[in-house]
Amino acid sequence: MESFQWGWLIVVYLFLGGLGAGASFVSGLAVYLGGRDAYRNIARWGAYIAPFPVMLGSGLLIFDLFRPWNFYRLFLTLEPTSPMSIGSWLLLIFTGTSLFNAFLWLPRETKGWLLSRRRLRRWMRGLEWTWRGDNEEKLRSVLAALGLPLSAGVGLYTGILLGAIPARPFWNTPMLAQLFLFSAFSTGTAALIVLTSFTREHALTGGRDAKLLYTLDILLICLEILIIVPFILHAYLATSSIQHSLRLILGGPYTVLFWIGVVGLGLLVPLALEAYEIYPLLFKRQAHHSRALEVASGLLVLAGGLLLRYVFVFGGQMSHFDPGAAIALAGGAVALP
Amino acid sequence: MKQGQGRIKRYAMVVEVKKCFNCKGCVVACRAENNVPLPISRNWIEESGIRGRYPFLGQTFEPAACNHCERPPCERVCPTGATYRTPEGIVMVDNRKCIGCKYCIQACPYQARSVNRRDKVIEKCTFCIHRLEEGRIPACVETCMGGARHFGDLNDPDSEVARLLAHKDSYVKKSEAGTRPAFYYVF
Repeated sequence: MESFQWGWLIVVYLFLGGLGAGASFVSGLAVYLGGRDAYRNIARWGAYIAPFPVMLGSGLLIFDLFRPWNFYRLFLTLEPTSPMSIGSWLLLIFTGTSLFNAFLWLPRETKGWLLSRRRLRRWMRGLEWTWRGDNEEKLRSVLAALGLPLSAGVGLYTGILLGAIPARPFWNTPMLAQLFLFSAFSTGTAALIVLTSFTREHALTGGRDAKLLYTLDILLICLEILIIVPFILHAYLATSSIQHSLRLILGGPYTVLFWIGVVGLGLLVPLALEAYEIYPLLFKRQAHHSRALEVASGLLVLAGGLLLRYVFVFGGQMSHFDPGAAIALAGGAVALP
Repeated sequence: MKQGQGRIKRYAMVVEVKKCFNCKGCVVACRAENNVPLPISRNWIEESGIRGRYPFLGQTFEPAACNHCERPPCERVCPTGATYRTPEGIVMVDNRKCIGCKYCIQACPYQARSVNRRDKVIEKCTFCIHRLEEGRIPACVETCMGGARHFGDLNDPDSEVARLLAHKDSYVKKSEAGTRPAFYYVF
């Protein structure tokens, strides 16, 4: 009987961490792409949603500890060989900068309103310089630039956390970190596709926002597929313990979930939907402007991202560093020692 | 440390596989000595299953526990430095630093660690360090009625473990994991 040390909390945490990192990355890109303010709406909403999934995910992570009262110990040290130690610091820095960035993107009226609250006044006075003159624009650019490597770091970390363990052959391949990174960015993009489709400014951009998000997401989904294919090839041709672990998704307990859930509904179907939607935008035809399609493709990508992490977190814990298992399966008579 | 140069010990366990007959006395002794709650255990016996072809049949038993690796993967991944290795080569957990993330459980190729839900600590073999400090040997070694288990200092060439490893063929578990265990098996 397998016992899973890491469960749903870790699955959701890896998903949320990736989602926040992805939203931050897309927001940062939107600041720099297409000239000043071309993608203001994406940059703004990306900045708004980036910190909160990561904060919630980190909370879940602490909740999953069985000695949670000691969690502050993570921040009394930096263990350079431990992905979790580096990741914790990354999450802390990411949360700080992305919260500040979200604040910077608040409209002036909201900031003025916050300033008028008696309880918040002292805090807001301290922050008033951030929107004086053109400080706001400058700071947004700086934080966007800072956010790009930081969110790449958080996205990569969610994969390296699992990938850096030789004892779990299903995780221990050089491709897992990239798969999780691109999946993270893809879920962040998908969250923005869903969210911005409900914003007022969305229709006004005449499909320009949608075009950017779809292009990004199509690119990221393709990258994921281009990693899954060599992931399987590599694993199939690797040492017996890695090869053996591949049976989890090739005829094992996670086969249906992986191929139908992750690859089918999470990658191929949204890829088709997004290609259908971007086609008229690319060739200047009458756009579909279908919110149902936007929301459907976005939600499918999000569900696929969650499932991907479910398959890897649970499946990986069923794989062991045990070349002997493959020999036993081959049915050969093992010589007496 | 070169022999005779210092007093640093390098503890190791050596098991004579052919002398183990699966009585599980060591498992019971460990539970009693270290107050380990069910259902977990710090040590266990791995059974090879019946091998060979009739009438030439046989099976072996390998007592196993934490291998006290020279390069412990659990120590490498520990985010707070709670898992550490003593100068004598014993891999220990400092409970004041442990946050309970279970990363070490994932990282151990031997599945030698488990969560003690009663005391909220990571449970693993300590080579009975509290007994070593009193000059006694680990409980599992003391109780072993087949005389299969040996414990001692590898840096002392006259120790039982050093002599066994010098004169017999030995192996460690999953040597390809690169962990360099201090838990040896001899035939």
